[in-house]
Amino acid sequence: MILQRRGRAVLVIAAVTLVAIIGATAFALQNLLAGKIGGPVQIVNAPADAVARGKYLAAAADCAACHTAPGGAPFAGGLPMRSGFGTIYATNITPDPDEGIGRWSAEDFWRALHDGVRRDGQQLYPAMPYTSYRGMARADADAIYAYVMQLRPIKVASPKTELEFPFDVRLGMIGWNLLFLHDSLPAVSKGRSQAWQRGRYLVNVLGHCGECHTPRGMAGEMELSRSLTGFALGRVVAPDITPAGLAARGWTASGLRAFLGRGVARQASAFGDMHLVVALSTRNLTVEDLDAVATYLLGDDPLPTRPPAIDPAQARAAASGAGRLSYVALCAGCHGLEGDGVPNTVVALRNNSTLRLADPRNLIVAMLDGVGSENFPHRQNTEVMPAFPDKLSDHEAAELTNYLRVTFGGQKGDVTAADVRALRRK
Amino acid sequence: MSLPTQPLSVTINGRRYGPIDVPEGMMMLDVLHEMLDLTGPRLGCGIGICHACVVIWDREDHTSEEVRTCITGAGFFDGKRIRTIEGIARRDDKGEILALSPVQQAFLDQFSFQCGYCTPGFVMAATVLIERLARAPVPRAEVEATVAAALEAHICRCTGYVRYYRAVREVILSTPGLTREV
Repeated sequence: MILQRRGRAVLVIAAVTLVAIIGATAFALQNLLAGKIGGPVQIVNAPADAVARGKYLAAAADCAACHTAPGGAPFAGGLPMRSGFGTIYATNITPDPDEGIGRWSAEDFWRALHDGVRRDGQQLYPAMPYTSYRGMARADADAIYAYVMQLRPIKVASPKTELEFPFDVRLGMIGWNLLFLHDSLPAVSKGRSQAWQRGRYLVNVLGHCGECHTPRGMAGEMELSRSLTGFALGRVVAPDITPAGLAARGWTASGLRAFLGRGVARQASAFGDMHLVVALSTRNLTVEDLDAVATYLLGDDPLPTRPPAIDPAQARAAASGAGRLSYVALCAGCHGLEGDGVPNTVVALRNNSTLRLADPRNLIVAMLDGVGSENFPHRQNTEVMPAFPDKLSDHEAAELTNYLRVTFGGQKGDVTAADVRALRRK
Repeated sequence: MSLPTQPLSVTINGRRYGPIDVPEGMMMLDVLHEMLDLTGPRLGCGIGICHACVVIWDREDHTSEEVRTCITGAGFFDGKRIRTIEGIARRDDKGEILALSPVQQAFLDQFSFQCGYCTPGFVMAATVLIERLARAPVPRAEVEATVAAALEAHICRCTGYVRYYRAVREVILSTPGLTREV
């Protein structure tokens, strides 16, 4: 994940202090950690049903999303995750003895997921979401281990993580973990049912949804008091997925099941990073688990959903403004004059979840960059949405954004040309 | 019932049209076909994928680019200059064709198309490419990749593209000023 740049100065001070305070302790700890290098190659002959269970759990935990480079072999690592502190690379977790985890025991694997410690005793950075996986059942970790250890070993070296001082001192993470590593993450909704319990485990632990959807504090930690209330990472905002946030954007249990299971719902289709989540992870969930996720996200007693609160006066003003002209000229050809889209081909804008977000950036970035053609399960797909960076000035894009927000989303028409300029690709 | 309209003034192939009243939400392709009798740009997919409908937009800065008219409303073109396939060949005062453009001639010489439905779009893409190369030549070794990238979005269901791409490549390589040695 990407750590916030704005917290950098504070973090430098915090990190230096932490490193100093725990320096001596850490030195002793390092020896106590008894990291291992070399050792026998592990031969794991797990029964087929354990491997199958591990495969399912690895999908639910979405290991492949990060541990696969674009165009690379699955689980062979190499995906760069850029942050204000430098670039962290996901590692090769195929069972190659030298480049992957071929010498790791189930215990080593468990420590990485549960404690954020590598086999060689070095600390992992929380780009690896052990902060969420800490709640994983040991049996589930062992099943995932059984699955990855029977993958084809891929001899691809993991690129070296490039962080600046003092963040390159992995021991500093011991202090970070003391402060920010918790055994369980708070519940975001009310519920007691079995489905709700299962959903909490799927969302908070395996799905590690909070790693993107929970705001991050100055030290890059999840602000658990605001769990799943949404967080902006650069040009993208991961929306609020608390019961209140979802209800305010029209999400129902059936909508969430369709979105996570098939990538397309009446409320939205998955695009960008979330499309990857659907494609690699949530589409593989069983009907029962999808239902559990929806139950947990909405609670045992879901809040009623509301249509967008459209202000008639603002909507009338928007309908006769420049934003409407741009809409008719550039958008209506596919999305329709009334924003209804084309079934199975073009998403509707009326009641669209993205237009109902208070934060406009996903909408603006979609207009500036376009949206790639996406394939979905069951042979659904969306075609390419063109990018309009040079067909819309900052001012025109802002007016168009405001027209869409006011007319279809019930949001304020408060986006300025400066907001658009800030989001243009550098 | 009457639809709300928007006035459209546009220069097409050097000729000024308008202001004409265009129903709100009418795509430019329909305006060309139904109101201006310019039937060369084709309707294929209708959702901006196949590129049979593109016209050339001549921008103020003397660059040119393709615009898909099936998904672009007429309002976008108000006050703009565009070219359609009808404006590519050289004509006399009576509108009779004097000479095809080098791209058009090469497509004929190379038997680039069969049914011809996608051809206007390919002519537009190749014309825009050649105009771009005249401003910014590419190394000769990169011509093949440049052609492929420029024509990639255009879909042809008859020929497999090889003869289209070959024709454009040969026009570029045989026209002075479009390429450089390295």
